[in-house]
Amino acid sequence: MLHYVLRRMLHAVPLMIGVSIVGFGLMHLAPGGPLAVYTLNPTITAQDIERIKVVFGLDQPVYVQYVKWAIGMFTGSWGYTFFGGRPVLVVILERVPATLLLMGSALSIAVVVGMFVGILGAVRRYSVFDYLATTGAMFALSFPTFWFGLMAIYVFALQLRWLPSGGMYELGAEGEILDLLRHLTLPTMVLALVIVATWSRYTRSSFLEVIHQDYIRTARAKGLRAPAILFRHAFPNAVKPLIALLGVQLPFLFSGALVTETIFGWPGMGRLFVDALTMKEYPVLMGMMMFTAFFVIFSNLIADVAIALIDPRIRLG
Amino acid sequence: MARLKRISRRGAMKGAGALAVATLGAPAILPGKASAQNRDRVIIGMTQEPVQFNPLLYVNAGTENVPEACMFDALWDMNDGGKFVPNLAAAIPTRENGGISADGKVWKVGLKRGVKWSDGAPFTAKDVEFTYQSIINPKVAIRSRSGFDLIKNFKVVDDFTIEMELSRPFVPFMWAWQNMHIVPHHLLSKEADFNTSGYNSKPVGTGPYTLKSRVAGSHMIYERNPNYHRGPAKIGTVIHKFVPDQLVLYSQVRTGEVDYMGLTGVPYDRWAEASKIADREFFSVPQPWVQFIYFNCGKPQFKDPKVRRALYIATEMQKSLDDIYFGAWKRTLSYLHTSHWAYNPNLKDPTPNPELAAKMLDEAGWKVGADGVRAKDGVKMKFTCSTTAGVPARQGCQALFQQNWKKIGVEMEIKNMPASVVWGEYTTKSQFDTLLVAWEPTVGMDPDYTARAHSKQIPVKVGSGSNYVQYENAEVDRLLEAGVTETDPEARKKIYWRVQEILHEEVPFAPQAGTAQGRLKHKGLKNDRPNQYVTDATWNIQDWHWS
Repeated sequence: MLHYVLRRMLHAVPLMIGVSIVGFGLMHLAPGGPLAVYTLNPTITAQDIERIKVVFGLDQPVYVQYVKWAIGMFTGSWGYTFFGGRPVLVVILERVPATLLLMGSALSIAVVVGMFVGILGAVRRYSVFDYLATTGAMFALSFPTFWFGLMAIYVFALQLRWLPSGGMYELGAEGEILDLLRHLTLPTMVLALVIVATWSRYTRSSFLEVIHQDYIRTARAKGLRAPAILFRHAFPNAVKPLIALLGVQLPFLFSGALVTETIFGWPGMGRLFVDALTMKEYPVLMGMMMFTAFFVIFSNLIADVAIALIDPRIRLG
Repeated sequence: MARLKRISRRGAMKGAGALAVATLGAPAILPGKASAQNRDRVIIGMTQEPVQFNPLLYVNAGTENVPEACMFDALWDMNDGGKFVPNLAAAIPTRENGGISADGKVWKVGLKRGVKWSDGAPFTAKDVEFTYQSIINPKVAIRSRSGFDLIKNFKVVDDFTIEMELSRPFVPFMWAWQNMHIVPHHLLSKEADFNTSGYNSKPVGTGPYTLKSRVAGSHMIYERNPNYHRGPAKIGTVIHKFVPDQLVLYSQVRTGEVDYMGLTGVPYDRWAEASKIADREFFSVPQPWVQFIYFNCGKPQFKDPKVRRALYIATEMQKSLDDIYFGAWKRTLSYLHTSHWAYNPNLKDPTPNPELAAKMLDEAGWKVGADGVRAKDGVKMKFTCSTTAGVPARQGCQALFQQNWKKIGVEMEIKNMPASVVWGEYTTKSQFDTLLVAWEPTVGMDPDYTARAHSKQIPVKVGSGSNYVQYENAEVDRLLEAGVTETDPEARKKIYWRVQEILHEEVPFAPQAGTAQGRLKHKGLKNDRPNQYVTDATWNIQDWHWS
């Protein structure tokens, strides 16, 4: 097992290098650039633009810029933001807790509720509950997240005034846990709604596949009680594709939710990404890409190991 | 290994279940505490977050003006009456008080005594000198050196007097210093790199507030500077809150989560609704920007002034303002707002007149072809119009102009792009056909328009300036050169009236409207005086107070 994990981690190194080269190249190939914010200034001259290019190091060939950036990453210096001159790592890390909290809450709720709905839908296939769950999931997946977000704000913040419409804390109440939970509720619910829909569909189809297998029929014939059949025999087999799904979704814990964070003014990674993309903050975009790429690789590794732990038939290595 | 796997499997399942259940119960709907209006703080909401707190480095006017106004001071400010008023300077330099020499080249500025930086260090002429040196330092990523590049010699006469000699008289020089706030020599001169200095995150200024805390992506909190040289600010705490979605921010002003909505302001389609909200006050503020259609005079379709004027007069400009901006923006016929002191009131609106436009195009030799599109010498009257993608109001204007032009045999294609693309080399290297763009005058709100309209300011030809439309007119050149040296306001006015007349006839850019912003605030908030001469809603933040 340890050998397998080490080997996978070694494989990750060229993968990360590949991701960084492709990402860096694409970013510089795309039209436009960070200097556009300066050209909006009517008094800036072409000489000024050239001067700023030199200050940012954008006058050098792209491969030189890449090598400098890569050496920096390798030695622990992620560079400085073009606008604000702040260390990129600090800029990213200060957004992680907010995103982790929002995505962690939404994903946890969604996984538990989604699995519950999916299992019940599979066990009671074609029942009223199953039809309602299927219709609800299609509804949740069909409408854009920003619509749910705006509706939630309209109903719960503007009309009922039960919950705040955005932000993470009431200003001046930073650190108060109850206040945080109030602010967390709406964005979590909106995000969870869409993830629940996904998870319920996956769970339902995975369980449907398993509960019609011969060994389940055999268990039933032996006279085992339904919960025992479901949780001892069906669950471990049905849950494997769901762990793979979790492996795909875990990186969102760190990459954030662009739309939801923007609508609710949640100070997370999604917002940072949107802002950095708008201003073409290359150092921040590259830092975020590497950060996310690492968690994609890491989460998939965790998922593979978890599946192996659950399924004795799978041998790693 | 097999044993490890058995234990791990059960452990993993139980652990995962316990974790999920524990998290599930956490974010339940909890009752909030009722919050009374805090009369010693004001919450200013904006859709954009500042990324620069060093006033010399800011790039996003509007939002980055807030830390600038809260923490820093300039030598002088522009007030809401359009007058310069002293701030760190003891008086506004004029010829009468001896601050400006008779030839307009030497400027002597006396500084206020007894001013302290918020860390207690004294403010002196050395700070002004250091600020100037930073501005002209090629290693500093400063947004503009306009005006400062004319300083031939900068001298510190004594601790509270500076003297600057210009290479030529330049009347808008006042604006250069109004727009640059002073940074501390004693802190920044020790920094190896001005652009990445730690100071930029924790600035120290002479302004009415100091930065208490910042939560990235959420808000910044400023506290009153008790030693402020113009007297302590009336409100103890200013919170600058960032709500990226304009509609959500509007909702937060309604719910009382925000006291003052700045920057993008209330969406135009909500102006009528906003004016009726209880306990809130809605008001419209003219903004320095004027929206234009830019014609690239370097392209064969737009070389002839008659063609540009024909295209201009075919457009339904007023209709675009009534239908798309709900009457919020005011029509202007020049690069200045109609309320600007140098605006030429004799200009007459020639739009819309499609019949005359068609006739003018015929006379200019652009005849309608078999496909219904005009052409001359093998060149079709077909072109693109670009602006920032995803701005519905501008897209609406483009669609209207497209229809207007189609009626006179002109084909326009909308080609919008992300801001970082369209305002990059596509604009600065004059690659566009036409642009729909909103720009302010070039040196503060001075009527000087050299950078935009002088023939020596075409970047694709001379490598500097921002005459992106490639407009050339010898008389305009002469007038613009005279305008920046003439000190008599009446004589200056006449010069710029003539500039506006010529631009009105030759239409290198077709003005649509002076922009305006709808602001919404709590009714009890007072003295937040709108100022059309600056981009900053908080220009007099130290004077704001609650009733």
